[in-house]
Amino acid sequence: MTTETILSVESLSFAVGDLQILNDVHLHVLEGETVGIIGPNGSGKTTLFNCLSGFNSPQKGSIALKGRDISPYEPHKRAIAGLGRVFQNFGIFREMTVGENIILALESRQPIRSTFFPWSKQNRKNVATAREYLKQVGLEDKFGDKAGSLSGGQMRLLEIIRTLAFGAELFLLDEPTAGVAPKLKNNVASLIVKLQELGKTVLIIEHDLNFIQKFCTRIIVLDQGRVVLDDAPEKVRESRLLQEIYFGNASE
Amino acid sequence: MEILPQLLVNSLISGSIYALASAGLALVYGLLRVLNFAHGHFMMVGAYAFYFLAVEQAYGLPASAAFALLVIVLLAALSFKIFVEPFASLSFFLPFVTTLSLATIFESSVSIIFDVNVKSLTSGFEINSLSFAGIFITPVQIVIILSALVLLGLIAFIIHSTSLGRRIRALSQDDYAGQALGVSKKKINYLVFISGAVLAAYAGILIGYETNLQPTMGNAYTIKAFAAMILGGLGNLWGTIAGAYVLGLVENLSIGIDFWGYSLPAGYKDAFAFVMILLVLLFKPRGLFNKEAREA
Amino acid sequence: MEYFIHLIIIIGIYLILAQSFNLTLGLGLLFNLAHVSVYAVGAYVTALLATELGMGFFGCLVCSVLICGLFAIILGAISIKLKEDYFAIGTLAFSSVISALLINWKSLTHGVLGIPGIPRPEFSFLKVDFYDNINFLVLTYVLVAITFFMLYLFFNNFFARTLRAQSEFRQATKALGKNTRLTRNMSFFIASCFAGLAGSLYAYYINYIDPSSFSLTEMIFVLTVVVVGKPGSFWGCVFGTVFLVLLPEPLRFTRDVPLALEWLFGMPYPQISAIPVLGWLITPVVSFLLYASRPSVLGPMRQMLYAVILFIVVYFRREALFPVQRRV
Repeated sequence: MTTETILSVESLSFAVGDLQILNDVHLHVLEGETVGIIGPNGSGKTTLFNCLSGFNSPQKGSIALKGRDISPYEPHKRAIAGLGRVFQNFGIFREMTVGENIILALESRQPIRSTFFPWSKQNRKNVATAREYLKQVGLEDKFGDKAGSLSGGQMRLLEIIRTLAFGAELFLLDEPTAGVAPKLKNNVASLIVKLQELGKTVLIIEHDLNFIQKFCTRIIVLDQGRVVLDDAPEKVRESRLLQEIYFGNASE
Repeated sequence: MEILPQLLVNSLISGSIYALASAGLALVYGLLRVLNFAHGHFMMVGAYAFYFLAVEQAYGLPASAAFALLVIVLLAALSFKIFVEPFASLSFFLPFVTTLSLATIFESSVSIIFDVNVKSLTSGFEINSLSFAGIFITPVQIVIILSALVLLGLIAFIIHSTSLGRRIRALSQDDYAGQALGVSKKKINYLVFISGAVLAAYAGILIGYETNLQPTMGNAYTIKAFAAMILGGLGNLWGTIAGAYVLGLVENLSIGIDFWGYSLPAGYKDAFAFVMILLVLLFKPRGLFNKEAREA
Repeated sequence: MEYFIHLIIIIGIYLILAQSFNLTLGLGLLFNLAHVSVYAVGAYVTALLATELGMGFFGCLVCSVLICGLFAIILGAISIKLKEDYFAIGTLAFSSVISALLINWKSLTHGVLGIPGIPRPEFSFLKVDFYDNINFLVLTYVLVAITFFMLYLFFNNFFARTLRAQSEFRQATKALGKNTRLTRNMSFFIASCFAGLAGSLYAYYINYIDPSSFSLTEMIFVLTVVVVGKPGSFWGCVFGTVFLVLLPEPLRFTRDVPLALEWLFGMPYPQISAIPVLGWLITPVVSFLLYASRPSVLGPMRQMLYAVILFIVVYFRREALFPVQRRV
């Protein structure tokens, strides 16, 4: 069984004014891989995700999802094509209830007429499906609560399970442990493992190297907009280059 | 076209008024990111205060003007404290709505105190136009142009060459950094807001000689000050002032020039500002002079 | 009694106008300040078609609704390009353009003179006299019911969820596959259609329209209604409309207050004012109410009342009223 390349990024460059944020980035990810992306602040990690999602338009380069060039696609089309995104500053909708967040995601692939009337059968099915998804992350009893009342960790879990309910195949997780209490970090980790078991492809931006090396088969290091390292976690951890990037050259 | 010089002079007059009106608005926006819907109403209230003192009470002109502006200072301080300050740091929409209600309160108060009939600053006497080189201009209009230049020059000097100006610029560019350097945000906010209101009120008094006073006149001027700001780029003071003069020019040319034998009725003059706002917003949202993009 | 029926009809018209505004502002956080101008256009379209072309009720209604729906295209174009503050100014400018056209395009709109003599509706298949206000009230509320049924759907289905989500974090909404631009445009379209409906109904009721009925005051009124009733709340908007239409009404009857007090206390009014403490409290209040009910002052007083209420409600709810928008 051959594994397909799900994401193919070639020569991606993005600049704002004079500031070159991404510089000739190449990236290929196979289906089912879990890839960690690390790098110092300002190295362009979130911007890379924004270019993939379609919120920033790169000046150069191409992006292909499942073999299809998605560069001309608007963000919502890319999402429907299979791209899922979890935002660093929490992309859940705080004013809506926990349940509504999931239902919103489910509705994206359903025909309009099925959810046009609030009392329709599809709506009732969606409620039940939403509950099932929430059960998987232990948030079932929060179904009717405003999403803004959740803790950071719970919000993160909600966002990830929502992206799963949406039907994404490629998950872009931007610092999933930021703002998450240590206790709940394990829950986030288990959820990522579950995504792996479901055959999803996951890209994770993280600062916590210990966290991601548990499930990443590959770690990419970005520095000043370039991919400087792309290897197995152990090799990356021990590399001199990594230490230089983060801590500067010790021999100076 | 023989009337072109006259149109240009008229543009200068209108532009000066708009510049005085919009300078304050731009400074407040740059500092607080607040759009003051009641700005035009400060003009209106200033005009009415002056009318009350100079016409109804018949005090001398300079004394009336001084007192009227003093009243505006107090009103502006109160307005800022009640209608702007508690909301400026919260969601953008709040000061929007509160200044809208402030504008309405001004309008209805003036309607009640002075009644809705149109008032004139010049009833009982005529202002004669002077004439130079074929151009007609009244003394008031000369005052408008000159005082605008003087005041704008003063603002330029303050902003760019004094420590106060530096503090204003610092706070406009970066809220926290400015405060960290010991600048008192609160005092600066009040100062800028009140100054803006006083400038507007002064412009209002001058306009009072050009047109009649009506409680509803505030709105049109607020929108024109907005138009100037949008032309020049929100938050860009000199862009706004340039925009004000451009607006004056466009307005006067639009009704003065014959477009292939058809000229725009004078009633549409105001609408022109509005159409300009729309066009600029649609095609150049960052303004004619701004660099940063502000797209949705 | 007649007056009471009049109030109920007015409430009905405003229910349609306010609830449609609630859709864009309350759910979508879209500050469309041109809503009342679209309402004006609806009224003028009906007025002109009814008086100059003699078009029947359904024709005028449909034309008003559709033409106003077209205005949504312009609103949509403005909103694509512009962020919150720019969008609000843009719609304000757009509404001013419409105002200027209504006032200056005299050949079409008769300018400030307005359009008089708009007939009440007539149905060929139903012999009902709509000059009888009770019948008109029924017609009004039939339209209100239809409007509310449709708006209720749009306040509770997939569309509502997308609209609310994009008001909070537009990019996260897009990341869930939603076309937020289309959603916003649809909300303008729906709101504008109903504004047109309300305008048409207004023209048919008052039988005379002029630009002054559609000023910024109306906009403030509608805004206050939505804010008081909580933006986004379907039934809150109903409460807000009823409350704010009825609130200034007692001012009309304050001239009777001294009479009522005389009846209550059983002595002539001057004696009541002379009562220590109680009289000192009553006198200024009554004097103010009498002053406020003078016809020339009544209009601005109502305006001020709405503005003050708007401010008070906003002040006390300022933390939660409009949630802060997030972006990446």
